Amino acid sequence: MPEELVVVTPGRRLGLADEYEPGSGTYMRNGVIYSSILGTRTTREAQEKGDAGDKPVLSVERKSAKFAIPAIGSEVLCRVVRMNPRAASVAIIMVGSTPCQEDFQGTVRVQDIRATEKDLVQMISSFRPGDIIRAEVISLGDQRSYYLATTKNEHGVIFAQSVAGNTMVPVSWEEMQDPKTKDIEKRKCAKTF
Amino acid sequence: MAANIIDRRRINGPQRSVEPLYTHVDAAADPFASGRGDGRALDQVRPIFVKTGPLSAHRSESALSSAAAASGAAFYEQGKIRVSCAVYGPRQGRRSSARMGSFDCDFRYAPFACSWKRRSHVKGADEREISLMLEHAIAPAIRLEAYPKACIDAYVTVIESDGKAATIAAAINCISAALADAGIEMYDSVAACSMGLTGARWVADCAQPEEDAASCSMLIAYMPSADEVTYILQHGKTTPEQTDQAVQTCTNMCARVYAVICRYLQDSLE
Repeated sequence: MPEELVVVTPGRRLGLADEYEPGSGTYMRNGVIYSSILGTRTTREAQEKGDAGDKPVLSVERKSAKFAIPAIGSEVLCRVVRMNPRAASVAIIMVGSTPCQEDFQGTVRVQDIRATEKDLVQMISSFRPGDIIRAEVISLGDQRSYYLATTKNEHGVIFAQSVAGNTMVPVSWEEMQDPKTKDIEKRKCAKTF
Repeated sequence: MAANIIDRRRINGPQRSVEPLYTHVDAAADPFASGRGDGRALDQVRPIFVKTGPLSAHRSESALSSAAAASGAAFYEQGKIRVSCAVYGPRQGRRSSARMGSFDCDFRYAPFACSWKRRSHVKGADEREISLMLEHAIAPAIRLEAYPKACIDAYVTVIESDGKAATIAAAINCISAALADAGIEMYDSVAACSMGLTGARWVADCAQPEEDAASCSMLIAYMPSADEVTYILQHGKTTPEQTDQAVQTCTNMCARVYAVICRYLQDSLE
């Protein structure tokens, strides 16, 4: 079937829930799938077979910049803004690979930095203000900030500058080294490979 | 409390209340017997033009830039009315809950918007009231449960105004277009239209001189795909039958305005 680009506006009827699976950019009401954003109507074959059925996925897509908000379980990229011995305040700048329209506020508590030996963790040996970290959202938190955790191996500091101002290279899971001055600084590094 | 004692701790209202005075309108008079000033039919809305997309020449693309660019923007014209809107979001909200996001609207007239007087740049009470009206009209259309803890902000500026109810309707249409441009998830775009009661007839989309001569004005904001009215604003005195008739007619006109706005939105992507 030739694929034609149909541009739909929000609230347009796209198809029946019996024939299609609702994808992104759509919502369902009374068994009918409607579009919820301005974009092009796209049909994709079902990825998983089995209980979900082989219904094709109907979605509305838009090429231009889409801004994300953090959800529980999503992987986020943040910049450490403030620190105290109990928690670090971070600014969430990206969710997955989508940027945020404006920085969201997040908190990494000291007991959520590492998976093992949580009571022996020291904030000053894990992060410093200005570091870029990759973390996971564990809770929507309170009114002010999301709660994040860096307990997984691939979460932690991915970019940091030394006191001399040079970009540091991770040498182990808890140390980073300045390539010019050879100084070692302690961070909770992310395993990036 | 005796009637003569003034409570100094509170803002005192009048001691007595009286029924408001309505100007007596001659029902037989028909000022539009020879047609409207600009030659429109009685049920015809002024020509609409919509342009979505950033209003400035360049737009910041960097995700780490501190001065955030708007997620979406729209410029809307209806006859002489000119309104522009910028939508920011979804971004961190101060009053949004963990279940649903919140929608905030900021409405202001430019100081040169009204042709008969210059407004102060300080926001007046009517602008604050209209901001709340726009929030009530648009918020039901946005899928706020898709944006928990986030807020979506719309900033509306009226560049030129021509008829107060018509300008508010234009602001609602402009916000709908800007939200669609921003990619905010919505149940449907909201289309709004206004009418004025002159004599015994409802006249669609009154310009300022027509609104001054009307005894009542009505504004309806409508979502055609769900067949739901999100906001009704009536200013003046009518009989229940007149209001009923106005709601029916205005809803049909909203559906026509909706078709025009959707046409512009579709063209903007092609």
